[in-house]
Amino acid sequence: MVDIEIEIDGSVVHGHSGESIISIADREGIDIPRFCYHKKLSVAANCRMCLVDVEGNPKPQPACSTPASAGMRVHTNNEKAKASQKAVMEFLLINHPLDCPICDQGGECELQDVAMEYGSDVSKFNEGKRIVADKGIGALIQTDMTRCIHCTRCVRFGAEVAGIVEMGATGRGEELKIEPFLSEGIQSELSGNMIDVCPVGALTSKPFRYEVRSWQMNSVESVARHDLVGSNIFTQTHKGKVKRVVARDNESVNETWISDRDRFSYEGLTNENRALTPKIKVKGEWQEVSWEAALEAATSGIKKNSAEAFGALASKNATLEELYLLQKLTRGLGSENLDTRLDVANPSSTSALETTISLAELEAIDHALIVNSYLRLEQPMINHRIRKATLNGAKVSTVNSLTFDFNYRVANSVLSAPQNTLATLSGVLKALLEANSLALPDYLKDTKVDQAQIDIASTLSAAENAVVVLGEQVNSNPCADQVAKLVTQIAKASNSKTLNASATGNTLAAEKVSFKPNGGLNAAQMFTANLNTFVLLDVYPTYDCVDSTAAIEDLSRDDAFVVAINSFEDESVLGFADVILPLASFYETSGTHINIENVAQSYGASVKAAGDSKPGWKVLKVLADLLELPGFDYTDSPQVADDALSLSPNVATSEVDIIAMEVPNIATVWQYTPYASDVLTRHAQSLQQTQIGQISEAVVSAATAKILELSQGDCYKGVPVNINETVAEGCVFVHTNQARQR
Amino acid sequence: MNEVCFKNIDKENPSSLATYEATGGYSVWRKILHGELSPEAILGELKTSGLRGRGGAGFPTGLKWSFMPRNQDGQKYVVCNSDEGEPGTCKDRDILRFNPHSVIEGMAIAGYVMGATVGYNYIRGEFMEPYYRFEEALKEAYDAGLLGCDIGDSEVNFDLHTHLGAGAYICGEETALLESLEGKKGQPRFKPPFPANVGLYGMPTTINNTESFASVPDILARGGQWFADLGVPNSGGCKLFSVTGHVTKPANFEIPMGTPFSELLEMAGGLREGRTLKAVIPGGSSTPVLPAEDAMKMTMDYDSIEQVGSMLGAGSVIVMDDTTCMVAALTRLAHFYYDESCGQCTPCREGTGWMYRVLKRIMDGQGKMQDLDLLTSVQDKIMGNTICALGDAAAMPVESFIRHFRDEFEYYIKHGKSMVTKVNSDG
Amino acid sequence: MISDKAKQQIDTWVAKYPAGCQSSAVMEALKIVQAENDGSLTSESIQAVADYLEMPVISAYEVATFYENYNHKPVGKHVIRFCHNISCMLNGADDLISYLETKTGVKIGEVSEDGLVSVKKVECLGACVGAPMFQIGDRYYENLTQQKIDEILDGLK
Repeated sequence: MVDIEIEIDGSVVHGHSGESIISIADREGIDIPRFCYHKKLSVAANCRMCLVDVEGNPKPQPACSTPASAGMRVHTNNEKAKASQKAVMEFLLINHPLDCPICDQGGECELQDVAMEYGSDVSKFNEGKRIVADKGIGALIQTDMTRCIHCTRCVRFGAEVAGIVEMGATGRGEELKIEPFLSEGIQSELSGNMIDVCPVGALTSKPFRYEVRSWQMNSVESVARHDLVGSNIFTQTHKGKVKRVVARDNESVNETWISDRDRFSYEGLTNENRALTPKIKVKGEWQEVSWEAALEAATSGIKKNSAEAFGALASKNATLEELYLLQKLTRGLGSENLDTRLDVANPSSTSALETTISLAELEAIDHALIVNSYLRLEQPMINHRIRKATLNGAKVSTVNSLTFDFNYRVANSVLSAPQNTLATLSGVLKALLEANSLALPDYLKDTKVDQAQIDIASTLSAAENAVVVLGEQVNSNPCADQVAKLVTQIAKASNSKTLNASATGNTLAAEKVSFKPNGGLNAAQMFTANLNTFVLLDVYPTYDCVDSTAAIEDLSRDDAFVVAINSFEDESVLGFADVILPLASFYETSGTHINIENVAQSYGASVKAAGDSKPGWKVLKVLADLLELPGFDYTDSPQVADDALSLSPNVATSEVDIIAMEVPNIATVWQYTPYASDVLTRHAQSLQQTQIGQISEAVVSAATAKILELSQGDCYKGVPVNINETVAEGCVFVHTNQARQR
Repeated sequence: MNEVCFKNIDKENPSSLATYEATGGYSVWRKILHGELSPEAILGELKTSGLRGRGGAGFPTGLKWSFMPRNQDGQKYVVCNSDEGEPGTCKDRDILRFNPHSVIEGMAIAGYVMGATVGYNYIRGEFMEPYYRFEEALKEAYDAGLLGCDIGDSEVNFDLHTHLGAGAYICGEETALLESLEGKKGQPRFKPPFPANVGLYGMPTTINNTESFASVPDILARGGQWFADLGVPNSGGCKLFSVTGHVTKPANFEIPMGTPFSELLEMAGGLREGRTLKAVIPGGSSTPVLPAEDAMKMTMDYDSIEQVGSMLGAGSVIVMDDTTCMVAALTRLAHFYYDESCGQCTPCREGTGWMYRVLKRIMDGQGKMQDLDLLTSVQDKIMGNTICALGDAAAMPVESFIRHFRDEFEYYIKHGKSMVTKVNSDG
Repeated sequence: MISDKAKQQIDTWVAKYPAGCQSSAVMEALKIVQAENDGSLTSESIQAVADYLEMPVISAYEVATFYENYNHKPVGKHVIRFCHNISCMLNGADDLISYLETKTGVKIGEVSEDGLVSVKKVECLGACVGAPMFQIGDRYYENLTQQKIDEILDGLK
């Protein structure tokens, strides 16, 4: 690319040869109207709104598709350019309904904005306007295709970004219609971005429909904390309620996109199950009490018992500040019993894997080996970066126990049940080491290598910028630490980077403040140690714990005093808890999220906490004060964050030996749909109604089903059985939105 | 007359390989296979011949071929545009039916010159008889060892396939045709990049009209100068003209460029008894209409027709006599463009429907005087603002019909009926 | 959904295009499937074609709705496609279309009660020197008159 000078409206500006005029103009702050152009999508040049006068050309040229060349002289607002722009505006308006007063896009409509400048007061169009009957496209996006101006941004978004070609432009001429093939609903986990790219009110947010006018809302900068990316968002609020969430540009984090989970989870905030008042249980009956009374009950309950018998369990989605204060409180009391790893089959063998690649670097990889992950649904924005790499030719291999519907082609796919994953990865590692004539460690001496493993190894060897991704399904594997070690060795042997996506949400904040036992009890151990006091921070054992039945039984012991600092009430919590302290949920508290790149992103509260609930950091600070613990004299959350971020996490690198542990002959992999991954999304109605939200099946092969005596339509751990051959032998893959059952 | 594309039209079995070879067919291709003709020599002859694209745009063929990155590695393609659909045009259909081998040879030569080893002939989906004839010819050519891989140990490769359209006028636009060949909707691509750089399947591609390809073998066999001399300066050679409408013997005529229109009209049997010439569309429905007196002044070549205010286009001469209601004729054309707009870009998608509806309203007796200025303003706003030429093609008839026959439109609006008593019909 | 014979026919088209470009054959594949399906397409048949050619179904649907040769409603055994563009119009196509409607009792866009014919008005078919004209199946019928139309209709079975 050569740097060139061109002239736009008389000023000399710089660009690269071949760069479009509109991209140079945008950088220089020169306004050119447009509808179809979008910086993240391919150029369509179909709206014709950005026509400009390029000297030497008899016809006006579209600024979006015209490459700049040295010495080019462009006029964006001379008579010729204006005439074309006004002509296009007139054509766009003739069939566009005049329903701005009832259109949700009103006030933030690109057509409305541009029409103010380029439109005419009077329409010369006296014919009947076009009316388009539209198909519904699901619970998240409201369609009103009569308003569509056929810019095809949504179509290009689907094809290019979401990677699922769902929307199309059907018919032709005036009958051209933007629609999906069938009306069963859009399937992409990124579908909501179509709302953001739609310049008009054709695609708007369905949950937001008719809620409030856009100009009546405040937009507050915030960060989504459902996954490892921490996508930047605006929460848009009205009268103290979050009404909508939209993407906020941050090129290095989420570019300009957000996942549907980040966009629509806010609906859960107003769910009727929110915990809104402090409560204490008196003789088995719940009583609503004042904060003082509830805190007093909590304090005296905690003080009654010894520190050794105290345990703290926290949600992975808690804020850095909450996690920091709860660990400080726990350790202040003298306990080392604290954990967030409730969903891990064997917390004493957690996958320790360092992430050595940035989000931007993911786009430049030429190969990704994805282990134990349905990355598209687990970490949509990370998967999006890998998809971008595949568009440039990167290959993808997978080692999974189920065949997943990725939005890119998978070159090598190995199906492997959890109990065989060590053997599979050992085979890959051995093939790699042998191919590079490197010494074999003892544990690989007897490893057998098959062709599929050689294929993966040779793809890895051939790659120059490979990454190995470990996903959340590894948590169902009791040998997760060994899997992680093999992944590390594979990466080392192939000079690849690694990405640990095995724990999501704000897990890296928990790591940062060492919210795990250093010599104490882990999550699983705590439920078998007859502890007397538990403090739960937004924990819901029915969903969150691997063995929810055992956890609930233990928490329900008469001699167990349980303080639940929770944003939602659920039946089991009401059953075993003794004190409920209502917690401010997402967007109701200030906090900090640490993302996959170890970037700490702090945000303020967007709205006041619901009911009498309070931000977690305040609750924990006051609780610590009442417990007379030193070092809690914070007056705001940034002070807490400062302390938390100054910690150096205790990275205990324990040597892991590869000795396959005993695992059952038939293993269960349990994965929640992305819309059941945390308490807020589980309460977000619209997400639950989507195709992704409705997933609930226990997939098992015919042979394995026979062993388990399961038939199609039976229930396995409460989930309907689906027998097919997309799953590894020897395991049941449960993909569900339902709570765990034994 | 009938010296190039139509030279065998009166023979028995005009489409057969034997007939084609008997009149010198494939002699140029055989020379190439024997290594006796260089690409440079061919380009030189083509440039001398003055052959201009016969599909309508009239771009010099030799120049177009020279734009191809001949020596660039990788697949390149030659594509023939037999998606004939411009109202008034039906010449390519007859070439495919009666002289298919000239198209095959022309495409093969083009492939050789541009380093393209694969060609596609895109034939409109309704042309089934021409398609079968062309397929027969293709089989004959393959059987005779004239096509394929390393043809006759010459190290020259050329494979040719037909592709059928499915009913969309817009696919006659070359980039829409490429989209369609790729199995997509026929929506024109914006340019740059041009097909010579990014064409079919993203590879360098040259697209020419059927008649252009069919003219190439004879030009090379008889010399570029011979062809050029058939015509007039800036309009080399002879060309096919489809004369249709109100003439007694409508037909295709291959005549030297520069032939007076009056002679062509006579060839087509002239007007019917008692009729007078009212208007002529000289180059297909997309070219501006000419009133009789302007039309009678023109000779059939690029410059002369431009001088009288229209374009030679595809050489589709639509003759209208005094029984023609110009309002009805324009309404029909406006409907055509409205129906055939691909819908991709705003001015054409919205503007063609708008113009048709206003005209339809006038035809229904609901017209208003200001509608004429409105129509003129709408066509002006489409003109030059679209991705492809269909926008301009829709605009030009509206502008020219109203300019030349405004009184007739005003009469219709005022009286709610046509000024012409016997309307548009000889049925 | 797609017969083996149809698949063979589709495969001969697929073979014309480079490897991986099999969706180039979608236009013909849709025609082949349409012909097997009494002349019109259904959601299922479009889905089947898309699956067979390994392309997104919405892309096949875009093609099926863009081009004029596909029918999305049942049609007659013989579809009479009457050109009504300028050259045919100048030669009396409109009167002949009315004649055809009266003669068959079938309005434009409709199917006769016995399912034998349906009539469609189409844009220029590229046979303007033979105006007025229409197409039935693969065949063009040119220089039409009322008498000629009578004869053609009599020959339809």
